[in-house]
Amino acid sequence: MADPAVMAGGFSAVVGRSGGGKATSSPAENYQLARRRTLQVVVSSLLTECGFESAEKAAVESLTEMIQSYISEVGRCAKAYCEHTARITPTLSDTVVTLIEMGFNVNTLPVYAKRSQRMVITAPPVTNAPVIPKALIAGQKRTHPSHIPSHFPEFPDPHTYIKTPTFREPVSDYQVVREKAASQRRDVERALTRFMAKTGETQSLFKDDITAFPLIAARPSSIPYLSALLPSELELQTLEETDSSEQDDQTDSENTLYFLNYDDPGADKENSMLPPGGVVPSVKASEENMIDNPYLRPVKKPKVRRKK
Amino acid sequence: MNRKKDKGFESPRPFKLTHQVVCINNINFQRKSVIGFVELTIFPTVVNLNRIKLNSKQCRIYRVRVNDLEAPFIYNDPTLEVCHHESKQRNLNYFSSAYTAAVSAVDPDAGHGELVIKVPSELWKQGDEMNVLKVYIEFSLDQPKGGLHFVVPDVEGSMAERGAHVFSFGYQNSTRFWFPCVDSYSELCTWKLEFTVDASMVAVSCGDLVETVYTHDMRKKTFHYVLPIPTAASNISLSVGPFEILVDPYMHEVTHFCLPQLLPLLKHSMSYLHEIFEFYEEILTCRYPYSCFKTVFVDEAYVQVSSYASMSIFSTNLLHSAMIIDQTPLTRQCLAQALAQQFFGCFISRMSWADEWVLKGISGYIYGLYLKKTFGVNQYRHWIKEELDKMVEYELKMGGLPVGSNGHLTCPTPHLHFSIKHPHTLSWKYYKMFQCKAHLVMRLIENRISMEFMLQVFNKLLSLASTASSQKYQSHMWSQMLVSTHSFLKSISNVSGKDIGPLIKQWVDQSAVVKFFGSFAFNRKRNVLELEIRQDYTSSGTQKYVGPIKVTVQELDGSFNHTLQIEENSLKHDIPCHSKSRRNKKKKIPLMNGEEVDMDLSAMDADSPLLWIRIDPDMSILRKVEFEQADFMWQYQLRYERDVVAQEESILALEKFPTPASRLALTDILEQDQCFYKVRQGACFCLAKIANSMMSTWTGPPAMKSLFTRMFCCKSCPNIVKTNTFISFQSYFLQKTMPVAMAQLRDIQNLCPKDVLNFILDLIKYNDNRKNKFSDNYYRAELIDALTNSLTPAISISNEVRTVDNLNGDVRLILEEITRSLNMEKLLPSYRNTITVSCLRAIRMLQKNGHIPSDPSLFKSYAEYGHFVDVRVAALEAVVDYTRVDRSSVELQWLLNMVQNDPAHYIRHKILSMLGKNPPFTKAAESPLCNEALVDQLWKLMNSGTSHDWRLRCDAVNLYYTLFGLTRPSCLPLPELGLVLNLKEKKAVLNPTIKPEQGPDTTEMTGITMGGLITMETVSSVSMSSGVAPPPQGLKRKLDSVVGPLGSSSPEPGQVLQEEDTSKKFKIRVRISSAEDEIDMESPHDSQAFIHHHLNILERPSTPGKEPPAVDQAVLSLPVTPLPSSFGKESTSSSKHSGDHHHHHHHHEHKKKKKKKHKHKHKHKHESKDKERDSHAFSNSPASGRSVRSPSMSD
Repeated sequence: MADPAVMAGGFSAVVGRSGGGKATSSPAENYQLARRRTLQVVVSSLLTECGFESAEKAAVESLTEMIQSYISEVGRCAKAYCEHTARITPTLSDTVVTLIEMGFNVNTLPVYAKRSQRMVITAPPVTNAPVIPKALIAGQKRTHPSHIPSHFPEFPDPHTYIKTPTFREPVSDYQVVREKAASQRRDVERALTRFMAKTGETQSLFKDDITAFPLIAARPSSIPYLSALLPSELELQTLEETDSSEQDDQTDSENTLYFLNYDDPGADKENSMLPPGGVVPSVKASEENMIDNPYLRPVKKPKVRRKK
Repeated sequence: MNRKKDKGFESPRPFKLTHQVVCINNINFQRKSVIGFVELTIFPTVVNLNRIKLNSKQCRIYRVRVNDLEAPFIYNDPTLEVCHHESKQRNLNYFSSAYTAAVSAVDPDAGHGELVIKVPSELWKQGDEMNVLKVYIEFSLDQPKGGLHFVVPDVEGSMAERGAHVFSFGYQNSTRFWFPCVDSYSELCTWKLEFTVDASMVAVSCGDLVETVYTHDMRKKTFHYVLPIPTAASNISLSVGPFEILVDPYMHEVTHFCLPQLLPLLKHSMSYLHEIFEFYEEILTCRYPYSCFKTVFVDEAYVQVSSYASMSIFSTNLLHSAMIIDQTPLTRQCLAQALAQQFFGCFISRMSWADEWVLKGISGYIYGLYLKKTFGVNQYRHWIKEELDKMVEYELKMGGLPVGSNGHLTCPTPHLHFSIKHPHTLSWKYYKMFQCKAHLVMRLIENRISMEFMLQVFNKLLSLASTASSQKYQSHMWSQMLVSTHSFLKSISNVSGKDIGPLIKQWVDQSAVVKFFGSFAFNRKRNVLELEIRQDYTSSGTQKYVGPIKVTVQELDGSFNHTLQIEENSLKHDIPCHSKSRRNKKKKIPLMNGEEVDMDLSAMDADSPLLWIRIDPDMSILRKVEFEQADFMWQYQLRYERDVVAQEESILALEKFPTPASRLALTDILEQDQCFYKVRQGACFCLAKIANSMMSTWTGPPAMKSLFTRMFCCKSCPNIVKTNTFISFQSYFLQKTMPVAMAQLRDIQNLCPKDVLNFILDLIKYNDNRKNKFSDNYYRAELIDALTNSLTPAISISNEVRTVDNLNGDVRLILEEITRSLNMEKLLPSYRNTITVSCLRAIRMLQKNGHIPSDPSLFKSYAEYGHFVDVRVAALEAVVDYTRVDRSSVELQWLLNMVQNDPAHYIRHKILSMLGKNPPFTKAAESPLCNEALVDQLWKLMNSGTSHDWRLRCDAVNLYYTLFGLTRPSCLPLPELGLVLNLKEKKAVLNPTIKPEQGPDTTEMTGITMGGLITMETVSSVSMSSGVAPPPQGLKRKLDSVVGPLGSSSPEPGQVLQEEDTSKKFKIRVRISSAEDEIDMESPHDSQAFIHHHLNILERPSTPGKEPPAVDQAVLSLPVTPLPSSFGKESTSSSKHSGDHHHHHHHHEHKKKKKKKHKHKHKHKHESKDKERDSHAFSNSPASGRSVRSPSMSD
């Protein structure tokens, strides 16, 4: 049977996200295993109490799982109730409310507890409670100021709220800034152009040393006016940054939009048989609907037959 | 042409055109071809109209029908090849006259045309009833070299995706290049235009777009345009492309078109067009005459702006985004020019070429008014001064520039190497100066009759024209839309009551300008200013001026205008002064404009109350003034005279006075931000010059450095320039200019001071445009220019090769900047690639100064097709310069090849004009480049290689003139004794040694001979295809008397005239179209008669005793383009005349043999034997005209 596997899966899921499985045996896991074993004993004894003589391991396992879930839920809810009332330790009443909330008739509990055939179970073996690994200590842990009662939760670890300056005071001397910006830009440009020159074709001004002052080779383009007339992306970006507050911006961002969108309408033109550029007016359709311009009028279908 | 002044318009044609249909059914971008037809509706104005002459160039004509009847036609274009012989003469005088003759032989203004259609005889009778004739012509164009320009980028995708487009272009009346028409500005008619184009394209043309209809397969659409306003064919245009459409947001009847992706630029660039519209409509109190207006922006434009009826075609390079400063005013000016020409030039047309100045003048004048209003009075006056100086300089150099009607006819222009009788023979520079002078003359007229009257005259012209335009065809009404000098003057005298005849006579009819020299003395006793004004009217290009002249004298007590009379002999003028030379009183000094200013008068001459004197301050004479006054007067004038022209004049004058006082005055001007920015720019350069002259005494930092630092650098760190904002354009321009001027400073070693160079390098280094909403591309380009200016010749130790190692340290820094900028341009190109342009110039300068090896290969790669046009021009300029400096024939050849083969017409034109400006050698100097092959090549270029482009041909003529002068190039071997004339008997005798060799078929080729005329090239028609045919030496004849070698003596006027005639005749070829099935031929006699008749129309009155002219004819069953090469091919391929072929080949070889023997052409008269031979030829030929017009002749 696949029981061990099932058990292992369920187990690890319950125990937590340690993920290590049973192969490892850290103190925390030992602790958990001991508890679990006690629960199994409880389940078995209850079964015995109910008159079962034997049970399949899988069934026991399922029941253990159920009981564990139930108890965990009670614990969780009780803690929630207590925290809701700004306390950190659940009280009896918290537990009671929880049980009621979970649909358990509390009144039956004393009777059940005092039943005759109840079996006594030995306490689980004492194992060390798992040690919570220490968080990185950063800074001084703060205690509550006097006006906060001590039962209130402690401050979280300092690293969650303190700030540590990690940069130096910026140089604010204008001259140095400009100097730096200028040389930085120059270095970047130089490196970039050198790189481009090294990776591509070059022209040289000297015959003896063609590597000195390399010039990126001039390459003719098929539509030279486009790159020469349209603002480069960098310039557009600058423009947007500089006058985002100004009125011009509207048209400019519109412009970029056109640049970006251009490819699509271009590709469609052939098929859609729209007048080229017909795409563009349609952007402002609302405005131009009333404009009567012969170039915006739809193209007429051919007449049946024009005389010859 | 020789119209009487008092008469109205008389058409030179025996018919009147009323309507024309142009239909282009197919435009093939792949093959660059066009197919279509035209239909002209004409009213004969004579009884028996039997032939119709139309203009058509390079079109292939398939058929002609008149009222549905097939009509025979002759298609002959004498301008294809100007001098037919393989002329050994190579003499520009000869070429010019032949070219003028060729152009006038088909001049529509004289009623001529390349296409002569014979009206079918069935229709002759109808002439009596003045019936309408409909002339229907089917034509096609295949790879047109002129008229239409196809731009087809070589990329993937459909034609629309590639941005392929086509547009019409041309210089003056050039519509005949793309459809048959009456290509005259004076023949108006209404139009119906239809263009069927790909569905993804838009066809933009003149008139109203009536409808757009899909073809049946839905793959194409037809644009139907109607132009109801009578318009000259020369004002019709077309552009087809995948244009983006922008309806003007302010004026919905105005539509803008640009190439794909440029729409945002178009939006911005066109955003102020409505203001120009409003301005013109307001000053002219006349609505824009057409119902719509279209602007189309195309690539590879022929000129920046060209105006046609209701549309203008612009260069796409005028478009710009909102970030660009420098281009903005330029684009606006172009738009304003285009719009001004819409009123005067398109709507109102001209009667003849002699009246062109009126149109150009008015459009230029109202454009000037727009400039004044938009850019301010300073800009306007600056512009006027600039134009005046340019024009004066040209006139003085060329010796006169008549613009007007009579000038064309009466003014002899032997000093010019081109004829000004016809727009198509003009040098381009002349044409530009012509336009310049035209608007300056208009301004003079305004000065005379006041602007109010001036505008009234324009309004009158426009309202007359618009009344006329709305009329249905009435023979005389439409001519109201044509302006002539006479009608213009009449309007002026009607409106103003003033006779401006003398003014017109002086400036329009007469060429030349006035050159004044002024000086003065102050007579203290009489308190009188003794002014002496002398004139130079003896040197070329000058004339004597008599009349009033205004002199403005600024005295201590104010500014006073005096009008002096310049008379024959009076040189001295006494002008009484108003103020005494007392100036103890601290008083403010009143200026011309009423302003009162404090002046520091300590610099003045204590005895004189004169501050400064100006002669003709309003530029109301077309003149050059050289005036002498003391340096302090110029300085006062610069500081306190508010007129920018005066300030600019004083800046120019101060260059001669390098003193600390001048320096101070200039610096003060530089600092004054109320001062016009162009004056301040001028002051920068002047200051640099003064500083160089004062080198030894100059104290303090280099000129302008501290000024620049104060104005543009950070307060805290004076070596770092502020980050760019360019909010104030005045400072922007100053900031751009100052470094360029500073770089002209030189120290004692004649080097650019180290300080200055470092300063400029720092400007480049610290330039920061990140926070600027304007582009800094022009600024950076000028900084590169500044680096260029700082270069000085390298100290060369012997003639060693320049290497990296021996590079000067400063130059290394400069070179690094240039390399980096040029490389960055590849990654982030600047607007119009201004920085690349500057870098190329800088590299050429480095080469020229010997810092780096001189090598044209870099420039050649940038000059290739596919780079932005500005870059190409800059690179070509460098190659041209290299060609001159290194005398490289390889590069010259490379340039000339580009002139012949480059797809962009503008580049071709530019190369030739740059070669003309910076010639590899001149006529004055010896050069190894000057050899026979080059002469041949250039000759061929202007003779036949540039027939598709008037402008280019004239450029070639210009270059030829610059290189070789008017006479026979010196590098050619001396010609043999040239002419054998018998003037008494008025006939030429054939050289007996040649005669026997002329077989029957040679006589066929003799061409037209008009008896009694001295012909220089009898057999010109033989060499129709210049490349193919060898010179027809077989027909060389010697004449009785020896006149002398033509090469060394220019022909007398009389000869020139006659040459014109002959060259006209020789180019007549007859082609009678015959449909393949039906032979619509007349008897040979008839066709001969026809041709004779035709010639008689063509010719001037001929001397009696002439022989009837014979014609070489070619019958073509195939449609034929008149291109020489194709003609030759087709005719040889015509199988009908195989016999002739054989014969002809023989002849061909024969001629080759003869070539060496007879190198030179001879003038000769045709003697009676010609007739014999002619008749012999006819009788020999098998009974029909056909064999006479055998294809062999076309070889």
